Amino acid sequence: MAIPIRVKVNGQVEALEVAPDESLLSMLRERLDLTGAKEGCNEGECGACVVLLDGKAVNACLVLAAEADGHEVTTIEGLGRPGALHPLQKAFLAHQAVQCGFCTPGMIMTALSLLLENPAPTEEEVRTAISGNLCRCTGYRQILDAVQAAAQEMRAGAQGRRP
Amino acid sequence: MDKTPSVVGARVKRIDAEDKVAGRTLYPSDKTLPGMLWVEVVRAAHPHARIREIDVKPALEVPGVVRVLTHRDVPGENAFGIQIQDMPVLCFDRVRYLGDAVALVGAETRQAAREGARRVRVDYEVLEPITDPEAAMAPGAVALHPKGNIMHQGHFEKGDLAAGFACCAVIVENDYSVPMIDHAFLETEAGISYYDEHGRLTVDACGQYIYRDQTQIARALGLPLHQVRVMAPIVGGAFGGKDEVTVQIHLALMTFHTQRPCRMVATREESIVSHTKRHPVKMSYKTGADRQGNLLCVQARFVADTGAYASLGGPVLNVMMEHAAGPYRVPNVKVDGYAVYTNNGFSGAFRGFGCTQACVGLESQMDLMAAALRLDPLKFREQNVLHKGDLAGLGYPMTCEVGAGRTVRSAQRGALYRSRRRRAPAKPATPSLKPYLRRGVGVATQMQGLGLGIGIPDYAEVGLDLRPDGTLQLRAGTNEIGQGAYTAYLQILSGRLGVPLSRLSMVGADTALTPDSGTTTASRTIFAVGKAVELAAEKLERVLGERAERAFGWAPGPARLQGDQLAGSGGRRPLRELLGDEELSVQAVFHVPVAEREMGDGLPHRFYSFGTHVAEVEVNTLTGEIAVTAVEAHLDGGKVISRTGFEGQSEGGIAQGIGYALMEEVRLEGGRFLTTNFHTYVIPTSLDVPEDLRTVPVEVREPEGPYGAKGISETAMVGVTPAVLNAIADALGVRFFRLPVRAEDVLAALQEKKT
Repeated sequence: MAIPIRVKVNGQVEALEVAPDESLLSMLRERLDLTGAKEGCNEGECGACVVLLDGKAVNACLVLAAEADGHEVTTIEGLGRPGALHPLQKAFLAHQAVQCGFCTPGMIMTALSLLLENPAPTEEEVRTAISGNLCRCTGYRQILDAVQAAAQEMRAGAQGRRP
Repeated sequence: MDKTPSVVGARVKRIDAEDKVAGRTLYPSDKTLPGMLWVEVVRAAHPHARIREIDVKPALEVPGVVRVLTHRDVPGENAFGIQIQDMPVLCFDRVRYLGDAVALVGAETRQAAREGARRVRVDYEVLEPITDPEAAMAPGAVALHPKGNIMHQGHFEKGDLAAGFACCAVIVENDYSVPMIDHAFLETEAGISYYDEHGRLTVDACGQYIYRDQTQIARALGLPLHQVRVMAPIVGGAFGGKDEVTVQIHLALMTFHTQRPCRMVATREESIVSHTKRHPVKMSYKTGADRQGNLLCVQARFVADTGAYASLGGPVLNVMMEHAAGPYRVPNVKVDGYAVYTNNGFSGAFRGFGCTQACVGLESQMDLMAAALRLDPLKFREQNVLHKGDLAGLGYPMTCEVGAGRTVRSAQRGALYRSRRRRAPAKPATPSLKPYLRRGVGVATQMQGLGLGIGIPDYAEVGLDLRPDGTLQLRAGTNEIGQGAYTAYLQILSGRLGVPLSRLSMVGADTALTPDSGTTTASRTIFAVGKAVELAAEKLERVLGERAERAFGWAPGPARLQGDQLAGSGGRRPLRELLGDEELSVQAVFHVPVAEREMGDGLPHRFYSFGTHVAEVEVNTLTGEIAVTAVEAHLDGGKVISRTGFEGQSEGGIAQGIGYALMEEVRLEGGRFLTTNFHTYVIPTSLDVPEDLRTVPVEVREPEGPYGAKGISETAMVGVTPAVLNAIADALGVRFFRLPVRAEDVLAALQEKKT
């Protein structure tokens, strides 16, 4: 009983036949080989699988693949690549906000969702935004610093593009 | 005369971070192979039961299920364990905890494998679970293993305790209880297995020591070592929880029987139920000091619940006993320790490795004694702290560099400690501090043995390959589990050779490619592997010098690399003139020096790291909530190789220390886990760790280490928990003896104080 869906993933339209109980996370990882979104708990508690669904952060393990039909998904792979990183990725690199790195993609996608909505968040707002993303290696400070640095960079970039 | 080049001690970008932020790093749980089977484990249905019969037929009827394996399919020794092989690969007669593996199901899809695992029928004779370690030790208790339930015990005595206590002006006696906690690494146990191009049974899975995993796999499968290959370069967190074998033997077994690639990814619930934990410990401390504040006596008794199997329970207990008297000069010491088998999960290695538990008790005692003597807590610690040449708690001399006192003095100078007497609600920094908030500042000092200790082989071998273009590749067998060691190795290499980081690369953790660099545990890699890197660099320059002497007639002596050129007594020559198109490879091994006298079972260590933590808390007396508002870490890890890595480990240690103090507890009832996910097993989030984190390096160089470096990964965490406890006591005038301290505990204690 496969369900045909059309979903735009990182700018590319994918036509897939998914199972009714298949999660978006499983679809991304197992069908499309996009393993940037991680499986940390499969029940929406760790945030390692966060991707953007129409620009908003979601736990991909809690969204059914079929629900993504007609929508747009952005994963960490769609953000930037080595040599051409997104400001958030650059900031995580520069602020040593990465240790084992397993939480990093989800953390960055959550931060991106926040910054798209609120380009100048307070520290408290960043803390709250990422509180659903668990990290066991850092003390979060380096992550918070990275998000603030990226926010500044992105604001400057946005201003720079204005005529 | 400091010739340290700028790259050592600098803030450099991690070599693995760019791929990680781009989502390109493949972790063990990300790897797939064409034609692979998913493997699921059938785990015990009861914490203690006899197996009467295992019926796999219903599982084989599930479409997609290819193979079901039981104990009959283990071709070698059906037992594993780092120290004692008392744990079955697949249980045959008895299960001893809920994580015990009874059967393996290999199927074309994950769903089919899960369905198959559900259908395996195991007929059990249910037995009464043994859940109380004291009862398990009592004569007549049902034995979980042939030699009885006391898996390991240790007894040490120094001086004359009775005479010592007779001289004490203050004696403090308390019982403490610390819970079982989970590593909660973000990536669960996972990996793949397959036959490589040379026909080797290959396991690419999470782990912390590829060579030991190779031995454990080969033993269980009855294969010669060279037919088994293990790799695990990048792992999504471990903290000791992946030190023991997890998925490796099961993967290998399924590939062995099906000749197909296999894949396993544990669910979070399975992860929490199955892997080792931090030992829950009941401890009793009786300590005393004279009127002048000299610590005279430490008496400690530990009962550690080691759960169903040994793993590293013995060494953990040893380290607990070794550190029972902490970083202090104490003439009279008596320590008794027991690690006891029960049906409560199973315990093993976890950041701090026994030291963590002892430190909670001892550092609470230190504060209580200081208060009774009306001494400043840090002054009291400074007065008693060990110096080089002093006898440690168990009576052996401290022959390494000892920075304990310097960390205490560094903490004394720190802003947080100097603000200690500032009382709520007058604290100017937070004018909004409500009258129902109480502020407190607490400290803790500790030391942590580095490496594996005497009696356990502790060495690191690395390989170094020089290419004709002057670029180099370092090969080391340790894992990158998040700690940043690969970057630090290259910083050391860059520093010693004068070759920029951009010309260096790293191959890690593959038994087919990398030498045996030892375990990725015990705060040892920067020290032991880092030193081997230094030795390899020296050897390379020596070999280049010798070859240049023969080839170019240069005067004897080492030659230096300068880009793609070789520089020496005879000037400069292109490296290619010497090497042609060949690579030049050297290997170097560092044997970690050990103590002069072995006290038995890996005791003692020769090298230690030291630290003093200062924590500030605000306690809400209306709700009982405790907020840690600032932590300062004064850490002696010798020379700091990577400043950013040092700070990162310190801050991560602070978060874990807060979790241990205030929220984490694996709860069991009758051997069954009650906390199998992240909403019942709560770890610190971004809202629980303060913004104000400061890490102060106290660089007492250890001449035996590379550039004088030692590891801090455990020291970074261990002192945090008692510092938070002491801060709570400072805030409320109420002390807690049981972890974690939750809001309801605070409210209950405040209620009791009122009445």
